[in-house]
Amino acid sequence: MTDLQMTLTNTAGLSSVMSLWVFVVSNMSSKFKERAIKVANIVLAIGFVALSVAIVARGIEAERFPLANLYESLLWFAWAIMGGFLFVSRAYGVYQLGWLACLTAAVFFFYGNCLPQSQHDIAPLVPALVSYWRWVHVPPLIVSYAMFFLAGLSGLINLWQSGRLKSLWICISAIVVAGSAIGMGTFSDQYDVHLLQALFMGASLIGPALAFMVLGQINNKVADAPGRARTAEISDDVGFRCVSVGLPLLTFGIITGGLWANHAWGSYWSWDPKESMALVTWLSYAAYIHLRIQRELSAPKMSVVAVIGLLLTLLTYLGFNSLGFGGLHSYGKFKETAPAQTQAK
Amino acid sequence: MGTFQLSQKDSPADNDETVSDPAVAEAKGPKKPAHRKISIFASVPLSITLMVLMAATILLGAWCPQESQVGQAKVFEAFDRQTAELLVRAGVSDIFHSTWFLALTALMSLNIVVVSFQRVFPKLSGYLKRDMPFFAGREISKLPAHATLVSADSTQTAAILATLSATLTRLGYKVKMDGDRLMAESGRYGRLSASITHVGLLSLMAGISITSWTGFTGFQPVLLGQALNFDDAKHASLWIGKKPDWTAKVESSRRENYPTGEAKQWYSNLSVIKNGKAVKTQEISVNNPLSYDNVDIYQSSWGLDQVVISFNDKERTLSLQSMGQKYAAFLPLDADTMLVLSLNSEGKELRVFGKRREWEAPKLLQVVPVGQSISLGDVQMKFVKVLPITGLQYKCDPGLPVTYVAFIIIMVGIFLAAVPHRHFWCAVEKSDNGALIYLGGTSRKAKVGFERGLDKIKESLSKQFNLVTQTKIEDTP
Repeated sequence: MTDLQMTLTNTAGLSSVMSLWVFVVSNMSSKFKERAIKVANIVLAIGFVALSVAIVARGIEAERFPLANLYESLLWFAWAIMGGFLFVSRAYGVYQLGWLACLTAAVFFFYGNCLPQSQHDIAPLVPALVSYWRWVHVPPLIVSYAMFFLAGLSGLINLWQSGRLKSLWICISAIVVAGSAIGMGTFSDQYDVHLLQALFMGASLIGPALAFMVLGQINNKVADAPGRARTAEISDDVGFRCVSVGLPLLTFGIITGGLWANHAWGSYWSWDPKESMALVTWLSYAAYIHLRIQRELSAPKMSVVAVIGLLLTLLTYLGFNSLGFGGLHSYGKFKETAPAQTQAK
Repeated sequence: MGTFQLSQKDSPADNDETVSDPAVAEAKGPKKPAHRKISIFASVPLSITLMVLMAATILLGAWCPQESQVGQAKVFEAFDRQTAELLVRAGVSDIFHSTWFLALTALMSLNIVVVSFQRVFPKLSGYLKRDMPFFAGREISKLPAHATLVSADSTQTAAILATLSATLTRLGYKVKMDGDRLMAESGRYGRLSASITHVGLLSLMAGISITSWTGFTGFQPVLLGQALNFDDAKHASLWIGKKPDWTAKVESSRRENYPTGEAKQWYSNLSVIKNGKAVKTQEISVNNPLSYDNVDIYQSSWGLDQVVISFNDKERTLSLQSMGQKYAAFLPLDADTMLVLSLNSEGKELRVFGKRREWEAPKLLQVVPVGQSISLGDVQMKFVKVLPITGLQYKCDPGLPVTYVAFIIIMVGIFLAAVPHRHFWCAVEKSDNGALIYLGGTSRKAKVGFERGLDKIKESLSKQFNLVTQTKIEDTP
């Protein structure tokens, strides 16, 4: 990795952290709130531009499309989260989502930074990845994951603004536990993989179930504060729009993956774990759309559904490799050397 | 087949689009509920339940190694014996062929078919019917997003409507006017989303059915000089096609490396042999298959399989084992001594090692280029050749064109789902002090974005015509 790339990537990472704090500070005083939000958006925009250039520079250096391993996909994910928030912020005028989006981007930068040097280095592609399909199939998937994350984060904002504080804390706990399982699975060999899988799945099942159960418990002091109902409504709408954008991208990614698999392996669907997980995520968001349009579920309920979607997205994107799922899509693994004949996509 | 009654909200064939939007229905006032008989298989809760069950089942299949893909041994490798036995017995290790999954798939397919014909497609007639009503001020005031502007000058109402019409047209709305009333609509084609997606899903089911009834697949590792045949092809019991009577001979096979020694690409030169004659030759590689007679042959894997050496002109073939980027054959000479023959992936040089029990590591004895000999004591050893093995995947998929068309249709349908369908109404009603301008509308998706747009229009009109806002936009309940 060149110094330019490293500087630009570090600039993007730092800007996400700085922007996060400015967004947090903006809540402390209504006096300079507007100005602080503006500053936070500008800092984030600088980071977004820096990261865009860093990705392009990496592609030029590698002489290939820069999306071939876990580290590169994390850069893309952070880029999509930052860009997605900046777009949503401009379209809807929302800012509370800002600090959550920045926190997510910062966590992913940190996660990427902690990966072994071999992931940071530009490595040659395995035969299965030498195809134009890579830049058709993978970017829409990564961007769709980012959109689903933004939808889940909007769900958290909705729970907060509507006074469902108990549900909110349960959902946050579930995300933290699930994320920790992925972190432990990625960076340590001392934990049993089945224990980590149980931790992730336990948090993903029990958390949302409990959150649904206590959804009726509302903190009226929070919910009745001026402007909260409107902010809750906006966050609900933002969440739905993010899913409306993410689902077509996920569909496009899955279908182009099928076309690539058919072109390369002779079968567009082989129930590979990564494929299966992408289908699970697709089904969960198809259910989200049906619940939203056909059943007109309340915004807080849809928020918990969005958090379930976020957890499934996390499992599909990172949990697949770090929690010991096997399969053909092994490009994200770095703990073991894939044998020469392993197909990797 | 069971049936149940649906109220107006769930009515599948509600052809009046404006009434199908609850907000608009409320504005128009009460309407007698339309009762229609809908199959229980078209129930939305059933669809959602099936999606959740299907997702849970697939998740289980992704978690547990599948016998059909990696073999049963992998299940026992991944779990302790007791758990593995339980998973095998419960069918989790082959879940995609289990009765449960097949029943779920069948039920979901039935649900998609019935929902498509009873709920989704009937709404197409509503799409074709474009007679949108014009609303009076009282009706517009009942819409979730609305505003009323007051004009002191009743003579400028025509100019206000003309400006509004131009603004909405610029924003992509189709505008209709009737005297002092205006109706505009945008993103109508977004309503086609469900119908198009369901057409795609039905087409996908058709494509998959054609393939599973008439197609076949398989994998065969083929040694250099040998031929791929289709004797072990996998196909459904309802198979109505026929297996090819030709073979594909591997004429040559090679591996291209990066400078670092890692594999960049695998190549196999194939000849299609029919009735003893080569009718087609092609070099295939990963992502570059050979197609002949509706059968596609793919380069799936590659490796060195055997090394042929001779000892004092007596040839012997040894199996090679993959050791990361190298391959090795082991030849025990006696109880304490072993000959280790090592090759890199190019297979041009044979490195001959000796290993004795008391040695910590093997010792390099000689390096032999292909076709040359070395002396090992009294024995003349010649490196004759190395035999690569190429993994060839093949398939015949007659349903593929239908499946590809289905993919395109589904993509179009789901992309359309992101398009918000919006209505905008305006009515100008003259009063004693001037005129009241009622603005309002609905958007079933992106409501907040719509309301922000309405705010901007209101502000623009107010500024341009010196209008005063009578009421502000109410929050949607």
